[in-house]
Amino acid sequence: MSELLVRNAYVIDPLSGIKGDVMDIAIRDGKIVEEVGRNAEVIDADHCLTLPGGVDSHSHVCGTKVNFGRYMSPEDMRAGRTARKGVMHVTSGYSVPTTFGNSYRYSIMGYTTILEGAMAPLEARHTHEEFTATPHQDMLANTLFDGNWSIMEAVREKDVKRAAAVVAWTLSAVKGFAIKLTNPGGTEAWGWGEDVHSILDQVPHFGVTPAEIIETMIRANELLNLPHSVHIHCNALGVPGNYRTTLDTLDLVPDLNDKRQTLYLTHLQFHSYGGSTWKDISSKSEDIARAVNNKPQVAIDMGQIMFGRTTTMTADGPMEFKLYMLHHNKWSNHDVELETGSGIIPVYYSRKSLVNCVMWAIGLELALLTKDPWQCMLSTDNPNGAPFVKYPEIIALLMSRRFRENELALLDPRTAHYVPLPAIDRELDWYDIAVMTRAGQAKALGITGVGKGHLAPGAEADIAIYPLKPDSLDPSTEYQQVMAGFGKTRYTIKRGRVVARDGEVVVEGANSTIWTKAITPPEFDLSVDPEFVKKFEQYYTVRMSNYPVQDVYLPRGVCIATEASL
Amino acid sequence: MRVILRTKPRKKPFIPIEAEAIIPQNFLRKNDITVYEGNKERKLDEIFYITTEGPAVSPDQVEIVLSGETGRIKRVGEYMNAGRIVIEGDIGMHCGNFMSAGEIIIKGNADAWLGREMRGGIIRCEGNASHYCAAGYRGEKRGMRGGIVQVMGNAGDFTAEYLSGGEVTIHGDCGDLPGVEMRGGTLIIGGNCRRPCGNMTGGICMIFGKADAMLPTFRNTGSEEKEYGGHHHRMTMYRGDIANRGKGTLLVKIN
Repeated sequence: MSELLVRNAYVIDPLSGIKGDVMDIAIRDGKIVEEVGRNAEVIDADHCLTLPGGVDSHSHVCGTKVNFGRYMSPEDMRAGRTARKGVMHVTSGYSVPTTFGNSYRYSIMGYTTILEGAMAPLEARHTHEEFTATPHQDMLANTLFDGNWSIMEAVREKDVKRAAAVVAWTLSAVKGFAIKLTNPGGTEAWGWGEDVHSILDQVPHFGVTPAEIIETMIRANELLNLPHSVHIHCNALGVPGNYRTTLDTLDLVPDLNDKRQTLYLTHLQFHSYGGSTWKDISSKSEDIARAVNNKPQVAIDMGQIMFGRTTTMTADGPMEFKLYMLHHNKWSNHDVELETGSGIIPVYYSRKSLVNCVMWAIGLELALLTKDPWQCMLSTDNPNGAPFVKYPEIIALLMSRRFRENELALLDPRTAHYVPLPAIDRELDWYDIAVMTRAGQAKALGITGVGKGHLAPGAEADIAIYPLKPDSLDPSTEYQQVMAGFGKTRYTIKRGRVVARDGEVVVEGANSTIWTKAITPPEFDLSVDPEFVKKFEQYYTVRMSNYPVQDVYLPRGVCIATEASL
Repeated sequence: MRVILRTKPRKKPFIPIEAEAIIPQNFLRKNDITVYEGNKERKLDEIFYITTEGPAVSPDQVEIVLSGETGRIKRVGEYMNAGRIVIEGDIGMHCGNFMSAGEIIIKGNADAWLGREMRGGIIRCEGNASHYCAAGYRGEKRGMRGGIVQVMGNAGDFTAEYLSGGEVTIHGDCGDLPGVEMRGGTLIIGGNCRRPCGNMTGGICMIFGKADAMLPTFRNTGSEEKEYGGHHHRMTMYRGDIANRGKGTLLVKIN
């Protein structure tokens, strides 16, 4: 039995309704408890900001496309090298670091749970292998269904239950967590050299529209009672004028779940552009934020960009091709049979580029204009907008108007004509940040039940203690301290063990992989469905029996089982 | 200043040594230079007998002589910007990575990635060079950008891949796919090779031996005379790689 007591912690735990109380936190065997014995190890938090362990609800850190990003960018791997130190392995890479690099840097920033934003089902083994090498965070995998042939056939037949059955079988087979739709229909169209430009364009051959795919998948998700909602990367990412597509998508969302949102729209910054060409691109964050404010059934994340070098990677193959045509640098394109695809290119976001400046402003505007912090998560779509190590800087920007003004002064002077950011006075407080970086994300992912994102008795003892004293620190003027404080915890505690202290990882980790299994009635078991089995016999390059990820790939798997309402 | 580094006998001579610190500018500052033997950091005098002769006030006055069992020493001359390195025997992989000036003389054979992504200076290898001589690393868009690489013997596969500038001369034979993805610069092959210059978009490649399995995506544009080894040779001139809308020049001797 191991016991730990965190004394004098300035706790903000939004899910438990604690908005800044000095209190003690007792931990026994990796769980939060009411009290511990006298012999417990004691950490004195000295009135420092203490939050539940960070949760990142959209980040690309593991899997085939991340790995391709690594080996197509040797210059990135030469950046950010750290030598072996204590239990820490050698790491390298800046925007796409090695798995241990990702894990250590997240842990030093107090993050203990990460959702991998997109896992191609066929390539799930690779993702799970990298999960086991990301030892300081519990991992979850969004599973791609945007171009899944069986799903699109079910959508064409208007058979929501069959779509649900395909999702149930696939998530269980590949040990995935939730449904991800990346440019629904667009990646399949890209297989024919085309794209879908709105939610009403037809996908070649299948004759279905993105709107039909989205609607069907939302309903299928609710039939399966999955913990997370459908997680969507909307159509027409990065295209000037795409805010109309985003508003159309928002209009599709019914309110079907009282515990969480019904649709999670990721990296919305990339989907909030006005104008018609790159020359007249403008911010439509106000329209998007108004729609989000009016719809409590949706949650979004920012997808903030930060200036500097990074790598973009997504399952949205056609979008990456458009980016390649702008940059003419390196480009990787990848097709995943019957399921999805991907593209990767390195980019540089520059303060001298008006387009990049507008993008930078839109992300912040979305966070500042969304009234309810539970609806807007902090993210950079790591590494697409910026590597996650930039989160502390984003937090400081959100908490300090003065910092934003200082930054705006460095940008292309035309920026202010295209964005409303200079007129926004709002400064987020510590509570808002706690919601946007852990509590809101855990609630949106539906993992509060497995003890994530809060510090109530029974929760997992994942805690981040930052060297920040909210009582005496004014974030609107002392934003440099805020940035430094969120960049390096005094203690990161994972499952009751101190894993990182003052910027150094101190133990070997052992993470869990959280996956979902929806239990369906026998008539919806697709492993014996002749039509579904035929897909493997006729089209897939693997046999159906070889497709599922074996348990050995998840040494510490945590299964969230749900009873499907089919 | 002349620094002579003679290898000491090692218990496990097959463990590679990562020696990116062996460059003339480091010896001028007389810092404690360390290298890695496998995953262990070693002081230079644990690996070498060191003899220093004469003074130097700038890196270009420093000459490093490596002798003994040097075939497993990697990354010698990485980021070198002045001076001279003479290797009496063979040298390990990645010799002269990113070097921008100075001279490296190799009296034996060089392992793979000799002069990878070099920017300037001269590398002269009197023996053979292995694969990826004067190439760009995997994922890199541009390989060697300037300087001169001369190999008196043969070179392996993928010689001068992604070549973008400078001059590479292989006096012997090359392996498969020399000059693939060339964007600029000059590649001269004195002997034979296979499948040269696929996907080239610029630069000049001259082959004075036989080019086996020539790719079909080069357009014959006539002939020209070129001098090599004191003789004039009649060469067929091709433009390509037209599959890549390339504007490179490939000259192959008419046998």
